Amino acid sequence: METNLTEQESFKIIQEMIATSKNKIKDNSFFFLLWGWMVLIASLSHYTFLRINIGYEYAYLPWPILMFGGMIISVIAGIRLGKQAKVISHFDKMMMFLWWGFCITLFIVLIVASFGKISWESAYALIIALYGLGTFVSGGVLKFKPLIIGGIASWIISVVALFVAPVNVLLLIALSIIVAYLIPGYMLKSKEN
Amino acid sequence: MFRVLDPLLHNQLRLSIMSLLISVESAEFNFLLEKTGATSGNLSIQINKLRDANYIEVIKSFKNNYPLTTCKVTTTGVDAFAKYVDALQEYLKIKK
Repeated sequence: METNLTEQESFKIIQEMIATSKNKIKDNSFFFLLWGWMVLIASLSHYTFLRINIGYEYAYLPWPILMFGGMIISVIAGIRLGKQAKVISHFDKMMMFLWWGFCITLFIVLIVASFGKISWESAYALIIALYGLGTFVSGGVLKFKPLIIGGIASWIISVVALFVAPVNVLLLIALSIIVAYLIPGYMLKSKEN
Repeated sequence: MFRVLDPLLHNQLRLSIMSLLISVESAEFNFLLEKTGATSGNLSIQINKLRDANYIEVIKSFKNNYPLTTCKVTTTGVDAFAKYVDALQEYLKIKK
């Protein structure tokens, strides 16, 4: 058994094994849909609270509540998926680094804005551009065009956000999250099933 | 002249293990078992041979109180695999 392998057989083994280990892209739509809905609800409720003029100073509250909730769900789902997975692809590892990097950069932008070093309007524009980057890179790695287009759309929206009234930026956030997360997320989900 | 095919890789099961590991970041013992269709005894022996040559890294841990073995290809392993494929190509070219 040790040496009875012909060169052709060797090639066949390599080809077959490589093909079998990359036979499925895991369900990546979950996180896009989770965060898509969280951000959409947060931005639209913030907008509505500002418009109907109730409790102006508390209008931003949907953000910390929903984002904290989203983080807890993400961590639980992440641990669960990690336990199920028998194999970790290069792609999985890259995505992990990308989105952890995203979280940390986001956190830094939020701190800088909290200290008043940049205006919240600039912070919003930077955050939209930042998740545009995450979506763009994910799309490139997954070879999934709707995510790439969503990422580019977010960048355009982030520039537009600099020129509109602050309250309307919330609507732009809602728009960009629909284009960059929800639509590609549902397309990805239907593709996987 | 012919380059010598790495005897460690020129074996059906070991070559299967290396080909699977080369295309992923890391894989559990059960994944390799399922994909290669080998017996667990034979798979263990071949994994140990590859580990002894430093072609793969074997990480032992626990999952739900059961022992878990995870394998990962090393840079030495990637180099050896690339050399093996190059040598194979030479053989096939000459045969044509």
